[in-house]
Amino acid sequence: MWGALKWTVGLLLLVIVGLFLHYTLPQRDVVRITNTYNRLTTVGENAIFYATPDVGTAESGTTRDIRFIEAVRPNGKVIVYRNEDTGWIWPPFFKYDSSNLQAKASDMKSTAEAPKWVAITKYGWRIAWLSIYPNAISLRPVEGPDVSFFPWLNITIIVVLVLLVLIIRRMWLQFWERMVDPAVKSVGQTLDDLDASADTARLNARTRWGRFRAWVGSLFR
Amino acid sequence: MIGFVRLVVFGFVGLSVVYLLVSAYSRSVERERLEKEWDAGGVDQGRDTYILEGMKRYQHGLRRKLIALVYVIPAVVIAVIVYVVNHQ
Repeated sequence: MWGALKWTVGLLLLVIVGLFLHYTLPQRDVVRITNTYNRLTTVGENAIFYATPDVGTAESGTTRDIRFIEAVRPNGKVIVYRNEDTGWIWPPFFKYDSSNLQAKASDMKSTAEAPKWVAITKYGWRIAWLSIYPNAISLRPVEGPDVSFFPWLNITIIVVLVLLVLIIRRMWLQFWERMVDPAVKSVGQTLDDLDASADTARLNARTRWGRFRAWVGSLFR
Repeated sequence: MIGFVRLVVFGFVGLSVVYLLVSAYSRSVERERLEKEWDAGGVDQGRDTYILEGMKRYQHGLRRKLIALVYVIPAVVIAVIVYVVNHQ
């Protein structure tokens, strides 16, 4: 019962973190830009998916003039990006050149007969029923519709995040070991534990896998 | 503009908290290492003096100074992001 609950909560947390990263990390789309414009947009319950009102592109709390970029994917489906400054806190793209990006996008407009393909770096999702759009960060021309990118940056970011989590865990365990445990446990108990863990260590050290596990465990101690 | 000021102020406060935590952790690890070194035997000094002198050495060592990177690295990362996103 408790095991199932723990798994459910853990899985749920993993999904939430995954969705959060998928929304926030930059991705590149290869598209053909068909139109650029700005339109007065009412931002209400979905405000969390738009820039905060104080970054300059937004004049009032609920209605603001937002720049949009319309495009077509290589498979013929359409996609619409918004083009807003991100401000200085979150998401940490620190983008303040929306006007320039809009000018670049307008410059790259093309038709189906004479397509100019561009790679647009964006974060966010297009969900029609919530009226939310991914935010375009930057764009550059590419050779054709079949260009693909290896996500070096995102892999680096995720590795760094995992390392940070491990460091925090390590710090927490050190705090626990040095500050909390000595206060709680009596000396005799600590010695008993040491004995027991020495025994298991000796037992584990017999196999290669056991030694590897002991080494991994030592990273977290 | 006010957003940038807010980033600098809150960033400095947040990173200062991180700095304090990391330096406490680093000191704790160093003390533990000294304790284990003495417990392993072969040291002529008393335990407390040995640890005290080791910690003094640590205070002037390179590792303690490297903790200042806690401030430097995020600032550099932000500067690089700002440049790549807006000026390329």
